[in-house]
Amino acid sequence: MTKPISEGAESRIYPTEIFGIDAIAKVRGPKAYRVPLLDVSIRSTRTKKEAKIMALALSHGVRVPRLLGVSDYSIYMEKIHGNLMKDAKISGKQAEMAGTLLATLHNAGIVHGDFTPANILIGEDGKLYLIDFGLSEISHGAEGRALDLLLIKRQMGVRLYTKFVKNYSQGVPSAREIIKRLAEIEKRGRYQTRTLG
Amino acid sequence: MLVLGIESSAHTFGVGIVDGGRVLANEKAMYKIGTKGMIPREVAQTHISNCNAVISAALSKAGIKINEIEGIGYTKGPGIGTCLQVGQLAAKTIAARLCVPIAPVNHGIGHIEIARIMSGLKDPVALYVSGGNSQILKLSKASRRRYTVLGETFDIGVGNMFDTFARSIKLDPAWGSTVEKTAEGGKYVPMPYTVKGMDFSFTGLLTHASRLAASHRKQDVCFSMRETSFSMLCEATERAMLLSGSSEICVCGGVAQSARLREMLKAVADEHGARFGFAANEFNADNGGMIAFVAERMLTRGAEEKLRDCTIEQRYRIDSAEVFA
Repeated sequence: MTKPISEGAESRIYPTEIFGIDAIAKVRGPKAYRVPLLDVSIRSTRTKKEAKIMALALSHGVRVPRLLGVSDYSIYMEKIHGNLMKDAKISGKQAEMAGTLLATLHNAGIVHGDFTPANILIGEDGKLYLIDFGLSEISHGAEGRALDLLLIKRQMGVRLYTKFVKNYSQGVPSAREIIKRLAEIEKRGRYQTRTLG
Repeated sequence: MLVLGIESSAHTFGVGIVDGGRVLANEKAMYKIGTKGMIPREVAQTHISNCNAVISAALSKAGIKINEIEGIGYTKGPGIGTCLQVGQLAAKTIAARLCVPIAPVNHGIGHIEIARIMSGLKDPVALYVSGGNSQILKLSKASRRRYTVLGETFDIGVGNMFDTFARSIKLDPAWGSTVEKTAEGGKYVPMPYTVKGMDFSFTGLLTHASRLAASHRKQDVCFSMRETSFSMLCEATERAMLLSGSSEICVCGGVAQSARLREMLKAVADEHGARFGFAANEFNADNGGMIAFVAERMLTRGAEEKLRDCTIEQRYRIDSAEVFA
């Protein structure tokens, strides 16, 4: 295969082309350290889950790359041309748009799990796209949603986050409860009880 | 500086003697764990009866007399209160008698620092795995005076999981290395696998394995438990290394004695062209050498403690201890 565009802990992203569309393949390669049965099970379960969540998000109107195909350990999706939000100077308008983006995702019953500017693409059309659903969960609880807010709050800084959370709150019916949970999480020390999920 | 260090946080009473970063002696006596595990009062009593003999053994191994000692270190925590007190009392007594400076050492810092320095690594992601602890740490970028916890267990240490399981299926001695021996030649059966980012959890795995033990071969359950838990640790470590931008991994703590865990971490490092290191097994098991080693670094930089402030702390957080890296 060609050289990967990027390399994560559990997957590599390769450029490819499908039906004449610029595409990328997210491939979960084998890990030499794991016994083969466990390795195969982890890679295929996570690939299927990630694809399922992306499809669900798409069907609820969240802007994510369109799925072009799924195989055992690979997800093929359209390539969004643009820049990562982490590499751009984020405008107030874009912070608001990110708020709406996360609201739509949460309303679809999905928690992203790694909602940072490194996983938001600013498309050439000026719209925001959400990528990397590797740590996402289908969940309806406040905890996971508050953790999504926590990550972006830490990365954006106060001024942008204020704009972000304004739009987020307008979009999510249970926003008050989630923001209250966020305040609780921020008070927690690492050694105190943490809820899973 | 000739420093004597005393470790007594759990089942091991250890005395080490260090001079200029060289370990001259590393003697120990261990509480026999049998099939029941550790009973705090009994462990402390065993330490008391072993104390003088182990100190004498260390001194004669190093070929020195006690009054040549220039500094003392002891384990302040984390650990079992009654056990910590034995080492603390012995250390304070010697320090007062010889009028030499004393340094309270964090047990985990002892494991990490001796592994990091002896394996020649500068800024590794450290996987610290033992009975009581399972954490992934790295020296803080700005100061290099503290370790930052990047990931850790949500519930019990991985060694605790092995020990508890060993007791539940009546292995003797009831601890992790026996599980590892029993695992040889086992076949993989699916187990719960819980990693969240760089954190992990072992209680679900423990419960599941204990249930399976009734209907499956011991060696298969031991094998699957080992493979699953070590894979979880490897995944979290790999992620921590990539996210923190490090290109070194080191492993330390009692569970780091496992050849299988080291083999797996080596594979993680190799995939990313990273360096991998660990200390000799005598420093992965609890020992006084690592306490003396860290105490010497503290004392030569003036971090001595007043005798009356030499306390113990059962839950002494590793990220609250100052490091002299």
